[in-house]
Amino acid sequence: MTTPAARTATPAPSESPAGDLALGKELPMADQPAVPFVEIETLRVKEFIPAAKEALSSLVAEQGQARVIRPVFNWAGRNSLFPLHWGLACCAIEFAAGFGARWDAERFGVVPRSSPRQADLMIVNGTVTWKVAHKLITLYEQMAEPKWVIAMGNCATGGGPFRTAYSVVPGVDKLVPVDVYIAGCPPRPEAMLDGILKLEQLIRERKE
Amino acid sequence: MQPDDLARTLSPKLGDLLLGVEPFEGMAGRVRFRREGALDLFRVVRDDLSFTHLSMVGGVDWVDHREVFYVAWSDSLRQYLLLSTDVPAEDPRVESASSVWPSANWHERETWELVGVSFDHHPDLRHLLTPDGYAFHPLLRSFKLHEPEELEVKSRHV
Repeated sequence: MTTPAARTATPAPSESPAGDLALGKELPMADQPAVPFVEIETLRVKEFIPAAKEALSSLVAEQGQARVIRPVFNWAGRNSLFPLHWGLACCAIEFAAGFGARWDAERFGVVPRSSPRQADLMIVNGTVTWKVAHKLITLYEQMAEPKWVIAMGNCATGGGPFRTAYSVVPGVDKLVPVDVYIAGCPPRPEAMLDGILKLEQLIRERKE
Repeated sequence: MQPDDLARTLSPKLGDLLLGVEPFEGMAGRVRFRREGALDLFRVVRDDLSFTHLSMVGGVDWVDHREVFYVAWSDSLRQYLLLSTDVPAEDPRVESASSVWPSANWHERETWELVGVSFDHHPDLRHLLTPDGYAFHPLLRSFKLHEPEELEVKSRHV
């Protein structure tokens, strides 16, 4: 509780040094003539928007493919790599483990799709024989553009230990164009993820 | 069933087409026969000896001749039976068993493409493990391992 003596000791607001700026008084700025901010900004925007439109359209026309459209498409493409969900040999076990809880390739946007129409990445995980070669090519041709191929493991890269065998394709690059090779027999899921990230780097630098 | 029992049943029906019945470890016996009596032997083995299931067909290249063998299984005897015949290397053919045991179909296709033994009257003698038009019989002793590029040229049918 404040005593009456304490109340009288408090100075009155009008007696303070900043009394002119205190609340309740009119500010000095208010006495100046009003600046038409809204009108000025409206005029500037009306000038700016056609200029911006022209600049943007000329930018898109000149460099749009390289500077605007392609980076957006590359960004979208590399963050939603959908590999074809199939397995050829023991590398498919590592492929499957890569999508399990421990490695969780889905955090990179890599979701295996069961239809080649929905896939844009083919991970060849295993030994490719001549018997299955034309089916592999059919699956590759059924995938929609743009599409990429990762050769996972030594067998898909170059035939592996079966290189001189009578039935094995010595490297899947004899059949389809390969973007990334992953070494290992079989490569661990980390190596598969590293290959996918390498492919993402390739897509980031993609020009055409 | 012992080899003597097999011979007692088989020899009156096959005559000189039966070359011999020998003991074979783990099986009822090994029946060696001439390839001309293949179908007769198969029918007798299936109907009279109750080996109703053909488990496998295979072939071996012995360089001067080739051998085709069949393994039959009897549910009632719970025994296997090995049948084998020799075919000359210059005319490797034998009658197909697929009219007696339908399960011989794919086994004979595999034997044909890997060992090069042709099966007469086979309903569907196509490649099974190798691509269509494959130019080799890879399990023959004369088959040499190829350089991958050379094999690729010869086996690319895609």
